[in-house]
Amino acid sequence: MTKTILLLSLLFFSGCSSISSDQLSSDARTATQRVPQEILPLSGSFKVNRIQFENGLRLLVVEDHSSPTFAYQTWFKVGSRNEVPGKTGLAHLFEHLMFKESKNLKDGDFDRLLESAGAEGENAFTSRDYTAYIQEMPATQLELIIKAESERMTQVIVNDQSFKTEREVVQNERRFRNENSPDGIMDQELFQLAFRQHPYHWPVIGYQQDLDSMSARDASQFYRTFYAPNHATIVVVGDVKTEVVRDLVKKHYGSLVSQPTPEAIQIAEPNQTDPRRKQLALNIQVEKLLIGYKIPGFTNDDMPTLDVIQNLLTGGKNNRLRDALVETGIASSVGSYDFEDRDPSLFIIMANLQKGKQAGKAEKIILRQLKQLSRELVSSAELQRAKNKSQFSFYQGLESNYEKAYFLGTYESLAGHFNAGLLHEKRVAAVTARDVRRVAQRYFQPQSRTVITGVKK
Amino acid sequence: MKTQKSKASYLAMILFFCGAPGFSAEIAFERDPSLPVVNINVAFKTGAVTDGPRKSGLTNFMGEMLLRGTRIRSKKQIELDLDQMGAKLDFETRAESIILRGSVLSSQLEPYLKLLSEVITQPSFPEIEISKLKGEISSVIQEELGHDGALGNRAFSKYLFQGHPYGNPILGKISDLKKFNRTEILGHYQQLVREPLLLVVGSGDASAERMNEWTKLLGHSLALIQSKQNLSSSALSVTPPKPATRRRLLIVDKPDRTQTQINLGQIGILMTDPNYFKLYLGNSALGGHSFSSILMQEIRVKRGWSYGANSAFRFGLQPRSWLVHLFPASKDTPDALAYTLKIVENLQKNGISAEQFEFTKRSLINSSGFIYNTPSKRVENTLLEKSLNLPQGFMRSHADRIASLRRDEVNQALKNFVQPDHLAITVVGTAKELKSPLAKAAGISEDLIEVEPYDAE
Repeated sequence: MTKTILLLSLLFFSGCSSISSDQLSSDARTATQRVPQEILPLSGSFKVNRIQFENGLRLLVVEDHSSPTFAYQTWFKVGSRNEVPGKTGLAHLFEHLMFKESKNLKDGDFDRLLESAGAEGENAFTSRDYTAYIQEMPATQLELIIKAESERMTQVIVNDQSFKTEREVVQNERRFRNENSPDGIMDQELFQLAFRQHPYHWPVIGYQQDLDSMSARDASQFYRTFYAPNHATIVVVGDVKTEVVRDLVKKHYGSLVSQPTPEAIQIAEPNQTDPRRKQLALNIQVEKLLIGYKIPGFTNDDMPTLDVIQNLLTGGKNNRLRDALVETGIASSVGSYDFEDRDPSLFIIMANLQKGKQAGKAEKIILRQLKQLSRELVSSAELQRAKNKSQFSFYQGLESNYEKAYFLGTYESLAGHFNAGLLHEKRVAAVTARDVRRVAQRYFQPQSRTVITGVKK
Repeated sequence: MKTQKSKASYLAMILFFCGAPGFSAEIAFERDPSLPVVNINVAFKTGAVTDGPRKSGLTNFMGEMLLRGTRIRSKKQIELDLDQMGAKLDFETRAESIILRGSVLSSQLEPYLKLLSEVITQPSFPEIEISKLKGEISSVIQEELGHDGALGNRAFSKYLFQGHPYGNPILGKISDLKKFNRTEILGHYQQLVREPLLLVVGSGDASAERMNEWTKLLGHSLALIQSKQNLSSSALSVTPPKPATRRRLLIVDKPDRTQTQINLGQIGILMTDPNYFKLYLGNSALGGHSFSSILMQEIRVKRGWSYGANSAFRFGLQPRSWLVHLFPASKDTPDALAYTLKIVENLQKNGISAEQFEFTKRSLINSSGFIYNTPSKRVENTLLEKSLNLPQGFMRSHADRIASLRRDEVNQALKNFVQPDHLAITVVGTAKELKSPLAKAAGISEDLIEVEPYDAE
């Protein structure tokens, strides 16, 4: 992944993995109770040392001595799902404030300290369900990063001045990602229309009026509630020794006190009973289409099959929607994403139309393809290709220290155990043609569909 | 200040460089068995600068057509075979190189290499695919008009280079690509895809010997084909771009913008320029990969004007560009531009401070290991070194070269290089609100400000 200093916050990621919640949470709890440290396989010769500290902090270490560097990531189980109406965007805005002043570091010192030591890719991102702070360091700088990250886990000082400046930066980020981006506008509208009660309704970056009315006090309150060792997982991958990492983490984080776990979000989105749609007039030259279908949360057993469906529809070089839309001269590109969120989310299909072609035509073709998927069994050759694409993506997603850490952090944050990601791949391999048909029938229903079309203003 | 040194030498990795006897083709392959994936890049040391007058986009078009049919396989069959293998293969066009970028599960390496050879040596350029590709690329160009960042980059390159091939868009202009025909695409293929220009660079779970053998065979096949054609074997030649004679400003007029995209810059330098490392350090202090850079501190941290503010060089066989990029709210754009110009003028006049010099130097040295810490980065380094005729190991030499720099020589290089009075400035924004204040901010008479509609070719 190319480093870009401009992307302080990657607001959300798409993905394709999941597993049964019952099995996962049960595995994770049992493991934690039995042994505070486990050694588990990741991929190839890589092993994960999974350590649980008394204050609730979890540490994952993968040793890879192929270069004198390591990735260090801190994942918190907090995202825009933890916000309330009127305070949208707070999780992401606070992510920005984590780079500001803390008890022993003046404003800007955190960045200067790390950069001076040779940090690479110092960054952070907020999603609907989690927030992560990431960087890579030279192998000689292990204690420096552990000390600096442990300080900002609980010692950040939010003052009015830095809050106001950073809020302006976030407003600019919002202009960049949403207001002045046709895709950003359409994405925001899709979730807004598809969800009416659940926090997934609002954009991770928040609404402008909410950001305008927020205060430093709101940010401090948010920090005290959600940033604590028992809400975090640290992932270290690279040229380190597990015992050294464990001892240094214990030294610097060991005295941090766990906090009460905030009450879980219990807002159930009412069942969608009718298709929803909206047309937007935008500064674009070619029409755009975005379709979202309600799908279950990432722990549902149907998620591996939805991953296979995603590959059948738009994965790899040859797929059903490319054949139907691009090869026929209707669209220039088509894609799909099965969002892996904690709560029920969306399976999204997007298309950029060719000049003079209408989004409505593409929509009809897509619906026809989905109907076919829910009526006819996919051939074994096509099914195998879809699985191969998934397997290939899985391995590609584990290439670097950063990517391994990202994989581990994601599933620890979402599922409570990284095995979720590994088991997902195994389950993808076991998906049958009948599974594909059954899952397509279940989720690609007209009443669970939301459509956004973008047309030229 | 310790220099990071790669430990690759004591890993089971082998780096091969070889020119096969009787051939000019080069290969560099690094064995990395940690994951069952092989990454292969087949490059030719030529690129979009060869497009020719009113043929913009021809190189990219030809390259995309390589994946759209061979004498043996149709486009669909190529795609099905790639998906069956669990593999990727894409074409990338740069100004001075073209690259077939591929990855495959190591178990499928042999069929993949067979397909890759076929794509390179036996493309069929079917008429039907030419027609389809014209529609797709035209629509992608139209779609890009919705993305202000891409629009800004495209406009800046064109404006800076004033008719030089470096300013041509890689995808081309719609009016040019509409006229492409099979004969000229085939002719362009014969000119560009040739053994003397061949460079294979890769990494992964394969033996270097096998990759070496395959490259020799590929080079042999290409040489055999070329022996039947009467082509000169001269290497790529590009004339240097001409610098501007005064400061200029172009507004790319787009309605309803709440945010602008500002690019400003000048003709750059060669990586082999004696001042390269001095300017590399000077630019890093100004706006390189750092939250502590002058631009990030002054534009983002202190004033909250833009989510990002950075500066960068782009390199080629001739001096390409040096540019500063920021994207402030429309309301802040005149102030942000005026202040950025002041920063650039100050950089030229006074250079960087002792503190900025020491911090940047230390940071660059300590992070230099990240230039080559993964196989994929080392592959990219080799591609760059080979395609820009840099000495072998140039990218690894950064830390040592930077360690020897003095502040006075960095500042002298900045004084000689930066030309505040000859900058090209482009702003994507709404002209009716911005023309007059931008003229004032840039110190240019309003009647010299150029305005062009965002959807103009």
